[in-house]
Amino acid sequence: MPEPELIEIPMTVDVPYRFSAGHFMGRFLTELRDNGTFFGIRCPRCGRVQMPPRVVCAVCHVPNTDWVKLGLEGTLAGFTIMYLPLTDPTTGKPHEPPFAYGSVRLDGSDSVVDHLLHVTPEVAHIWVGMRLRAVLRPQKDRIGDLSDIRYFEPLENQQKPEPKPSRKEPSDAR
Amino acid sequence: MPVEPFLVDQRITAQSRYFAGKTGSRFFTALRDHKKILGVRCAACNQVLWPPRSTCFKCFSPLSDSDLVEIGPHGTLLTFTRVHYREAVHPKKAPFIYGIIALDGADTGMAHFLDQVDFETLAPGLRVTAVFAEKRNADILDIAYFKPLP
Repeated sequence: MPEPELIEIPMTVDVPYRFSAGHFMGRFLTELRDNGTFFGIRCPRCGRVQMPPRVVCAVCHVPNTDWVKLGLEGTLAGFTIMYLPLTDPTTGKPHEPPFAYGSVRLDGSDSVVDHLLHVTPEVAHIWVGMRLRAVLRPQKDRIGDLSDIRYFEPLENQQKPEPKPSRKEPSDAR
Repeated sequence: MPVEPFLVDQRITAQSRYFAGKTGSRFFTALRDHKKILGVRCAACNQVLWPPRSTCFKCFSPLSDSDLVEIGPHGTLLTFTRVHYREAVHPKKAPFIYGIIALDGADTGMAHFLDQVDFETLAPGLRVTAVFAEKRNADILDIAYFKPLP
């Protein structure tokens, strides 16, 4: 008797949604869309600059007050190379792997923003401490969400530093 | 500086592939190829379950292909609701009606669409029958909807 046919059912759940960005993210996204600039916000108690801005300082829980204009350049604080597709919440479409995704600390900010890195997705080409610059959509195409940042690209003339010699050679001994 | 209210539109699209399993595959191929609806009889409980499954949900008896029985296509409406608003998780544009239908020969009900029916006079106990899709793909929408028996 032949094996009975086995059935697989492809399913797609497509959920569009809308959220109110609120007072602080609203200003952040408006500045990004209209002027192509990033704004963070400084905690009046600890002086920490958060970007994207939030109503209260995540550490002190006091209301944030001082807006700080930040540049487009920053430093890579961490990264991952994706070998699986990742759904982009701004489009609902997956990014095709492999690609690099990283946390970038903009100059003058104490927090990081996670975004795509426009680099060869190999460890030899990416390192923590790498200097990066945000590449934005042209102004006429900007819509006021994080997809207005196309990606972060490396600044010119950088070399991945040589790894520091480790104190101990790795060993298989248990 | 006054700030305009700012709304952000985003979307999540999740692709998945559901494996119907051995028993579920028999159910879907019977629908697609023969317009037959299969249930499964649990001999221990003396109950016919719809949709068919490989384990009885009451007594956990293993069930096999030899326990499959043809049920329907007529049945009885157990309960229903009307969806008034459109939402991404619903496969149809609102308004439409979901019913729970106990097919003749089955002891459990299952949710499906009701159509060609007057919502105002709808009541549990209504006799209905399955309307099969012209083009069938071996999924649950091979039954397009249930309609009242004349």
